[in-house]
Amino acid sequence: MSNRLFQGIIHQMRDTIDRTIGVIDESSVIIACSDLGKIGEVNEEVTAEALASSDVFQTGDFTFKSFGSRPHPEYAVFVGGADPEARKYVKLLAVSLNSIKQYYDEKYDRGNFIKNVILDNILPGDIYLKSHELHFDSDVSRVCMLIKITDKNDISAYEVLQNLFPDKNKDFIININESDIALVKEIKPNIDMKDIDKLANSIVDTLSGEFYTHCMVGIGTVVASIKDLARSFKEAQVALEVGKVFDTETTIVSYNNLGIARLIYQLPTTLCDMFLKEVFKRGSIDSLDHETLFTIQRFFENNLNVSETSRKLFVHRNTLVYRLEKIKKITGLDLREFEDAIVFKVALMVKKYLSNNPVKF
Amino acid sequence: MASVTLKNVYKIYSGGVTAVTDFNLEIADKEFIILVGPSGCGKSTTLRMIAGLEEISKGELHIGDTLANDVAPKDRDIAMVFQSYALYPHMSVFDNMAFGLKLRKTPKDEIKRRVEAAAKSLDIAHLLDRKPKALSGGQRQRVALGRAIVRNPKVFLLDEPLSNLDAKLRAQMRTEIAKLHKKLGTTFIYVTHDQTEAMTMGDRIVVMKDGFIQQVDTPQNLYDKPVNEFVAGFMGSPQMNFIDAKLGKAGEGYTLTFGKCTIPVPAGKAAGADLAPYVGKDVVFGIRPEDVHDEADFIEKAGGAHVTCAVEVTELMGAETYLYLKCEGSDVTARVEPTSTAKSGDKCQIAFDLEKIHIFDKETEVTILN
Repeated sequence: MSNRLFQGIIHQMRDTIDRTIGVIDESSVIIACSDLGKIGEVNEEVTAEALASSDVFQTGDFTFKSFGSRPHPEYAVFVGGADPEARKYVKLLAVSLNSIKQYYDEKYDRGNFIKNVILDNILPGDIYLKSHELHFDSDVSRVCMLIKITDKNDISAYEVLQNLFPDKNKDFIININESDIALVKEIKPNIDMKDIDKLANSIVDTLSGEFYTHCMVGIGTVVASIKDLARSFKEAQVALEVGKVFDTETTIVSYNNLGIARLIYQLPTTLCDMFLKEVFKRGSIDSLDHETLFTIQRFFENNLNVSETSRKLFVHRNTLVYRLEKIKKITGLDLREFEDAIVFKVALMVKKYLSNNPVKF
Repeated sequence: MASVTLKNVYKIYSGGVTAVTDFNLEIADKEFIILVGPSGCGKSTTLRMIAGLEEISKGELHIGDTLANDVAPKDRDIAMVFQSYALYPHMSVFDNMAFGLKLRKTPKDEIKRRVEAAAKSLDIAHLLDRKPKALSGGQRQRVALGRAIVRNPKVFLLDEPLSNLDAKLRAQMRTEIAKLHKKLGTTFIYVTHDQTEAMTMGDRIVVMKDGFIQQVDTPQNLYDKPVNEFVAGFMGSPQMNFIDAKLGKAGEGYTLTFGKCTIPVPAGKAAGADLAPYVGKDVVFGIRPEDVHDEADFIEKAGGAHVTCAVEVTELMGAETYLYLKCEGSDVTARVEPTSTAKSGDKCQIAFDLEKIHIFDKETEVTILN
């Protein structure tokens, strides 16, 4: 990757410096040069000792200067000629190439580092060491979002997101797999969750509005330390999973707002089975047809208000009362009673959870 | 350019929630139609179904002459502008508008031509080199519109695009969008929950509630002849006054009684409605705030149709004054002349413009008399 980076710079400088210029690596191979024919050639006159020196040195018709970030410089830049002007050019080039390389390494490594942190691929003890090494501010507020692309098209969502969050020092876009992209975003401390939701909304709206790409966004909690990023990422994953089961029509699910769904999601399936058997001991929930379930849903949405529900369903009040009586006969639960209604509501959610084939435990 | 037709369209989510029920609408080519209604009424879902971002559970969607149910969103020849638009912060206005086309591998000279044309129609040609940071809210909104325009779509879908703007800017952008529609001559489908936006921008308005279309009509007709209590209350600000009343008969004519007050229903108005089945029954009497008067000469002309009310609050708006009144146990809002002398705590006389009254069925909320 460095080779391309160096060649790009050399190519840009070629016209300004009217001499042959290039970069040689620690195995004496020319990896970038203004004279393209020389790329790949080995210059045996440049020895490892010469490369290790921090001073300008001369070999043949060229002036060299080493650069690189490791304890021993990994590269040397060369300029044709042995005159004072060549020395000047070589020093200038070494400074700029070194800075570019440092910037590149830092950027590249930071992304990888964050990926390792959120995927738990790094030992907790190493997190602080590595973040210090990368000049990474480890104690700022960040939030993890997981963007799941639910329908593919020929536009790269990754590229779009990178352009939406271009600050490579604060925001990290990480490809998790074919359909999932993680966003680790630095945020102001004490940020309102509404602002984070807005951010998620702008991602969904941009992807769907501009590129017709449908996606779901799971939002983890805000964390103040880099070591907690993995937790925020897992929360974003859980939010998406729970949202898929209980909140099928929403595109943005925040871990903070999962409510009772989170409780149910964490219950052992055996316990859920027991609960359903207990609630519906007089008759199975499966014996309720689609229309009855729809009636129940509307009844809950209208706060157990018979008149309001019947109006919304365009049925006579007595029809609704008859349906509710029928439900009572089948299940033993009178949905007009708050206690029974809440048991039924939870049972419906548990049923939904079980019908999504969760891992049995 | 294209017409859009929705026939018996339903959206039913996997959990059984029905977001849109039996939606039927024909949108003419180049029409500016507004979908309006409270949150959760299914207007955005309908728009997303037209866009192809939501699957249609039942029914047919035609764009032009094509059945579009199974056409991929990118092939529907539509462009969308959403509420939470985001501009690419490090790109210039030109690049922001060109980005989508670049990703679609559109030739460079074509991109340049389209971006420049769109910028010209939006009056942002002089801003093409600027970064989003250096733009005002309204200019950013125009760039977001520009990103949609460069695609030269047959249909524009706009989902509450002005919600994030402040009131002043929103009013300004309303006019800009209406002008843009005229300039582009394309079909616009616009979703909003703001009845003022709906009234001022569209050729026709679709009022929705709980996933059902309540009424489709021109802004003026919706305002003057609402089909039910919901539409009557939703359109207009301050909203229509609703007073529980009883319909009675006096000789050949009809009367409305609320509290100790009885007002006649004008014979000419009653002639156009079938009021007989409602005699003796509870109904809802509706009157718009601007049809409630406190001017002495109007009260004098009104004869028996005046009521004594207690003034609870007055709000001077500059060009008009709102009086919040307690009238025979009901709350009534009146929009009167700024010269009105009514003060909080006063008793005052008001009269209703009887030619403008509405009567609704108390049970079904359907309009009996407009």
